[in-house]
Amino acid sequence: MALLKYESQVRPPLIDGNKTYHQVTVDIARPVEERPSRLWWIAFTIAVLLLGFGIFSVTREVIYGVGQWNLHKTVGWGWDITNFVWWIGIGHAGTLISAILLLFRQGWRTGVNRAAEAMTIFAVMCAGQFPIWHMGRVWMGFFVLPYPNTRGALWPNFNSPLLWDVFAVSTYFTVSVLFWYCGLLPDLAAIRDRAKLKGRKFFYGLTAFGWSGSTKHWQRHESLSLILAGLATPLVLSVHTIVSFDFATSVVPGWHTTIFPPYFVAGAVFSGFAMVQSLLIITRKVFRLEQYITLEHIDVMNKIIVLTGSIVGIAYLSELFVAWYSQNPYESWAFMQSRANIFSPYGWAYYIMISCNVLSPQIFWSRKMRRNLTVTFFMSVIVNIGMWFERFVIIVSSIYRDYIPSAWATYYSPSIWEVGFYLGTFGLFFTCYLLFSKFFPVIALSEIKHILKRSGDSYKGQMGEAEKETPEAFAHEMAH
Amino acid sequence: MTEKKYWQNFGEHNNSDHSKKLAGDEFQEEPPLFSFDSKGLLEMKTPRRDFLKYLGFSTAAAALAASCEMPVRKVIPYLNKPDNMVPGVPDYYASTYVSGGDAVSVVAKVRDGRPIKVEGNELSGITKGGTSARVQASVLDLYDTARLRYPVQMVNGLPKEVTSFEAFDKLVAGSMAGQNGTTVLLSATITSPTSKQIIAAFLAKNPGSRHVQYDADSFSGMLQANEASYGKRVIPSYHFENAKVIVSLGADFLGTWLSPIEFARQYVSGRKINEKAPGMNRHYQFESMVSLTGANADQRFTHKPSETGAIAVGLLAALGGTVTAPPALSEKLKTAVAQVAKDLNAAKGKALVVSGSNNINVQIIVNAINEAIGANGTTISWAAPIQTRQGIDSDFSTLVTDMNDGKISSLLIYDANPAYDYYDAGKFKAGLSKVKTSVSFNGRLDETSELCKYILPSPHFFERWGDAEPKTGFISLMQPVIAPLFLTRPYEESLMKWSGNDQSYEEYFKIYWEGKLGGLEAYEKALQDGVLEPAQSAAAAGSYNSSKLGDAAAAIASAKKSSELELVIYQSVNMGTGAQANNPWLLEMPDPISRGTWDNYAMVSPKFLKDNYGIDLSDAPQADKFEVHPERPVIKLKANGYEITIPIVPVPGSAEGVLAIAVAYGRESADPKNTASFIGRAVPGAGRNAYPFVSFNGSTFEWSAADVSFEKTGDDYAIAFTQTHNTLEGRTSVIKEMSLGQFIHNPDEVPDEREDELKKFGGIENFEKEGTLFGYYDKPGIHWGMSIDLNSCIGCGACIIACHAENNVAVVGKNEVMRFHEMHWMRIDRYYTGDYGNPDNVQTIFQPMLCQHCDNAPCENVCPVSATNHSSEGLNQMAYNRCIGTRYCENNCPFKVRRFNWEDYTQADSFPNNQDEHGVGRLNDAVLMMNDDLSRMVLNPDVVVRSRGVMEKCSFCVQRLQDGKLKAKKENRPLLDMQDVRTACQQGCPTEAIVFGNINDSKSKIVKTRVDNHHRLYHVLEELHVLPNISYLAKVRNPDTEANA
Repeated sequence: MALLKYESQVRPPLIDGNKTYHQVTVDIARPVEERPSRLWWIAFTIAVLLLGFGIFSVTREVIYGVGQWNLHKTVGWGWDITNFVWWIGIGHAGTLISAILLLFRQGWRTGVNRAAEAMTIFAVMCAGQFPIWHMGRVWMGFFVLPYPNTRGALWPNFNSPLLWDVFAVSTYFTVSVLFWYCGLLPDLAAIRDRAKLKGRKFFYGLTAFGWSGSTKHWQRHESLSLILAGLATPLVLSVHTIVSFDFATSVVPGWHTTIFPPYFVAGAVFSGFAMVQSLLIITRKVFRLEQYITLEHIDVMNKIIVLTGSIVGIAYLSELFVAWYSQNPYESWAFMQSRANIFSPYGWAYYIMISCNVLSPQIFWSRKMRRNLTVTFFMSVIVNIGMWFERFVIIVSSIYRDYIPSAWATYYSPSIWEVGFYLGTFGLFFTCYLLFSKFFPVIALSEIKHILKRSGDSYKGQMGEAEKETPEAFAHEMAH
Repeated sequence: MTEKKYWQNFGEHNNSDHSKKLAGDEFQEEPPLFSFDSKGLLEMKTPRRDFLKYLGFSTAAAALAASCEMPVRKVIPYLNKPDNMVPGVPDYYASTYVSGGDAVSVVAKVRDGRPIKVEGNELSGITKGGTSARVQASVLDLYDTARLRYPVQMVNGLPKEVTSFEAFDKLVAGSMAGQNGTTVLLSATITSPTSKQIIAAFLAKNPGSRHVQYDADSFSGMLQANEASYGKRVIPSYHFENAKVIVSLGADFLGTWLSPIEFARQYVSGRKINEKAPGMNRHYQFESMVSLTGANADQRFTHKPSETGAIAVGLLAALGGTVTAPPALSEKLKTAVAQVAKDLNAAKGKALVVSGSNNINVQIIVNAINEAIGANGTTISWAAPIQTRQGIDSDFSTLVTDMNDGKISSLLIYDANPAYDYYDAGKFKAGLSKVKTSVSFNGRLDETSELCKYILPSPHFFERWGDAEPKTGFISLMQPVIAPLFLTRPYEESLMKWSGNDQSYEEYFKIYWEGKLGGLEAYEKALQDGVLEPAQSAAAAGSYNSSKLGDAAAAIASAKKSSELELVIYQSVNMGTGAQANNPWLLEMPDPISRGTWDNYAMVSPKFLKDNYGIDLSDAPQADKFEVHPERPVIKLKANGYEITIPIVPVPGSAEGVLAIAVAYGRESADPKNTASFIGRAVPGAGRNAYPFVSFNGSTFEWSAADVSFEKTGDDYAIAFTQTHNTLEGRTSVIKEMSLGQFIHNPDEVPDEREDELKKFGGIENFEKEGTLFGYYDKPGIHWGMSIDLNSCIGCGACIIACHAENNVAVVGKNEVMRFHEMHWMRIDRYYTGDYGNPDNVQTIFQPMLCQHCDNAPCENVCPVSATNHSSEGLNQMAYNRCIGTRYCENNCPFKVRRFNWEDYTQADSFPNNQDEHGVGRLNDAVLMMNDDLSRMVLNPDVVVRSRGVMEKCSFCVQRLQDGKLKAKKENRPLLDMQDVRTACQQGCPTEAIVFGNINDSKSKIVKTRVDNHHRLYHVLEELHVLPNISYLAKVRNPDTEANA
């Protein structure tokens, strides 16, 4: 009988410190209610400057043409689509954490899901910039939408993976935003209720959509969360699968590979978790939330990193094997020469990718390393560098030397405006994230409270007593 | 249990009315719609329909305001429409391309009064409709922004307009009056019968005057040698088509030597394979650099330029000629000479030896060789000698001396630019300053004109009447196809005026030819045809005498021995001698061998690079690193007392210890600031001048130098290459090549290879149906297809420029080519095979590459907006205004033929003023020049000018296809094969390497070509199942099998 309220003591608590509900609210709402720190202002200024530089870079590209980037007749996609896939990949962790882990009833997700979801949304926003602005005539970009028009039966080409991307990414973005905002409602209401300033009361009153905490609200909130989680779960897999179709369905040796969908999804989860780590390690420090985002969370996520990193590693090996096994001269060239040959022009990129993505995460087999914040932060950056190079290697080192040797390219390296665009998306990302962390609770307040009674430090401590309780006493307690 | 009160919020705690209401409503399940009010939605203040109306209106208003502003361009109709002119319908007029001595019969396509395209004149017995890149590009010269627009007088180095011809005549007359020195007319070779007569009259009027002909690429050595051997100072006709064995001693007869269009056709006619009886000529090339001709040879032998004479003598000796003490040759060359001699001996009467040397002695030996192999009268004919080169080097040299001695009082210059292309330009310039009256008739302020006192520009050949006689008896006529754009006057008319004849040249011309032809009707017929030619006559022999042979051999034997490092000066296929130096089409055309554009450079052997820079190109990683960057090391080169810094480009197959530099680059005005406005905006920065390396040996100019020294500068210089990888990496499904022996022995090699590759998917026969999971579709009606014969293609690049002109392909300038942004729809890929370390072993192969118009095109299904799609006639077509520029198609094209408008190259963009970028993507002045209103007159109105941000590529000249179909439809008949429709590349090709037509028409030439050559037929990357509509015919070479064994 005691099992009904039993929480394993083997699992360490997910909320440290002897917290009460009120204390939880105070801790988590503090960054929202306090004035932003000097550090926040510095970070925000840098982010806005980066964003401004990005906007300038893109403006140049729109006015003068894609020639402002160093792409050329052989390498039609370079940093633009590399960055797109990279950001999309990063945008995977949030939904995975909130949706799949919700369905799997993983209690630890509550500490990180809010920030991870926000990160997802901002990352998808950044990702979306690339396919939009990489177009030669962006002002005609609406042609990709299947809108009724006066040109007869003129539809977009539903055969094109790029069009699938449009639908996949926009769906994913919409569902992620809904999911995130739905989770935010009770928290916004909580802040509204605590607000003393008029403006704050108005703002949170507006954003809370009149949440009153009634049972009906909670009931609907829970069902909606579950439905959205159900919707988002296949999306986690489909978005990156479809992004990988951009490459997998083409004829380019090095792109035309059936392994891409699972490989891309694993890579996306890999890089997404790394990004969550980078952000949360800083966030918990700056906002003093160490008791909510515990070493336990970090540890669990590092386990996922080593798992997905190894899956990606196996994918790399399979690619090489298939390239050899197929005896297809073009494919073997793409893998054996353009990638695995370290002396080839882009060989260095392949080895950066291998060492960042496959070799270095193996240190997380050690528990000590998994729980070391410095190592984790360093590794999370390394993983995202590695994953950036993975996309770069796939895209550039495949097309720069494909079928006809006469068309093999000169060395492609980005121009200042390509780099500027990429930096600009960092600006966009951090501007959004900093605003988010200032104006919204970075941890899901209400969800933390859900688990406080089960995984809070003090409750775990009382489990010994719960075990001793007699069945009669328990039955009596349950009856009332 | 106590009555505990549980509450969720303060309202509930206080039990307020509001809270009760909320609690009461909490589980209300009706849809919220009904809870509004009883009046219903339509009675609301802004009901749903109104809302949609407002939404629609405001969206439409915003769209109209934001995007529908179109620039206003006025089209002004004719006030009085000329007869015979229908707007939109092109007219064709026969004319003649003249540049230097070269004369090629052409037909000008005139749309709405503007010539926009040059085609070869198929009635010409010399070219039979073939063209070269330079001929194709000449229409752009007409619209050159640097053309002089009125007569000028040079004052302090700057032009001052002379408002009328009368004023100009008066100025010149005043200046020439009372002189007692000599008057000299200096020109390039003149073949025109009328001009010659006018010049004769002018010279007669001015006693003591003379006419000096000066050719930048002179054939003086040959002319004088022929005088010695045959008693005639002329150049005979060559008949490569009659030769079974062709030996060229450094003559680039397919690219730049004498009459390349004619020779290419003859040469290829002996190399087209008849599958029923395979056979072809064998071509040996001895040379010091890799020329276009050498690249096509069956076997090449490299040597130093100083060994040329020795090889000729050696060959003569090996053929049994009486040569005393032939000079020693290296072992390698000895074997080569013996092998060649054996082949020549076996093909007596069907063999030909030509030499590109400008040395009299070498040419005398070559004449003896041709006598020995029975070429005289078979492959060499004296019946209709070539007239296009008549300049004698020593005449000009004498003139320069006379000028410096102050003996020349008046110098009239037409179509010659010695201040640039004479090796000792300084001396010429010094002499020119001593000439009292110097008049130039050149069309622009080139290096020579700007130093003259008076300049009266001559019109472009499309603006004037005229004639030319490239071969004796073969007349080619010119007629104006556009009214003169500027205040120009033919130089003949000036000469007539100045010798007291007030007739206009037009009248003179008409009277002359009417008289010759016997009436107006014949005259008009001749103008319509453009050519007047005698009936084809048999080859005639010249009478040979060997008296000078001994002297020549002795002179060669005593010539300077070879030095460690030597230099060859050559003409590039695109630029020639530099007469069209401001032509961006030609400057942007990749050199067939090096694939570089916009520059000249020293071509060196890979060994040179290895020895001096430690970069071994036979080592893949090093080669990779070297070739993916455009930077090339720069050396300081010294020879013949002249020194330049120049980048080096390693070219496999170059002779070891030899550097080769092209002329025609490095044009510069006396004040370099004036170069752009005087010579042309495309000129500044384009290469370095190599003419000063030429030397004068006392009788002729030598285009080579010995005792060359160099030093490394440590600098790099970026060259704009369009191709960086040079080997095929064993990809036999891209190019198939075999030897004639192999082909005879196993004609099924290509089909077997294909069958082997495709047998898993139904074999060749069923591959189309079984190679896919998807359905098979019939292709009824017209289905366009093309066949390219790799054996006929010599890589000359005429098709590239033909395509450029026909399809308004943008010029992007050096900066952009360097960034791999060139826009050519048609390119000619060049690959090397063989051992990089042994120049004699390196072979070169060309492959024209353009959109393959795949029936299962990978580009089509990836376009998100279907901007590229398939026509029912098998065309892969582009809808430019649907394209949003994702470049996915470019990535997915296995042939990489798609070209993206990276920047605003054409000013067709909707963003104004966006060609002024600095830093990344800076556009060269040449691009802006191409957007000048004058330059834009060359645009083909049938082809849309693409704007920035869209993809483009070969369309199979769809405008021509539509035109042809319309013509057939109007005449109510089926399409005539090879007549109604021809693509621009096909029409421009001098060797008929390209065949195009309807593959559903069993009688068409394309079907016939494919059936007749099915043993050589293949599709590039066939196994991808993209189903290209272009087929290639495998290359067959005819190397000496014994030598290969």
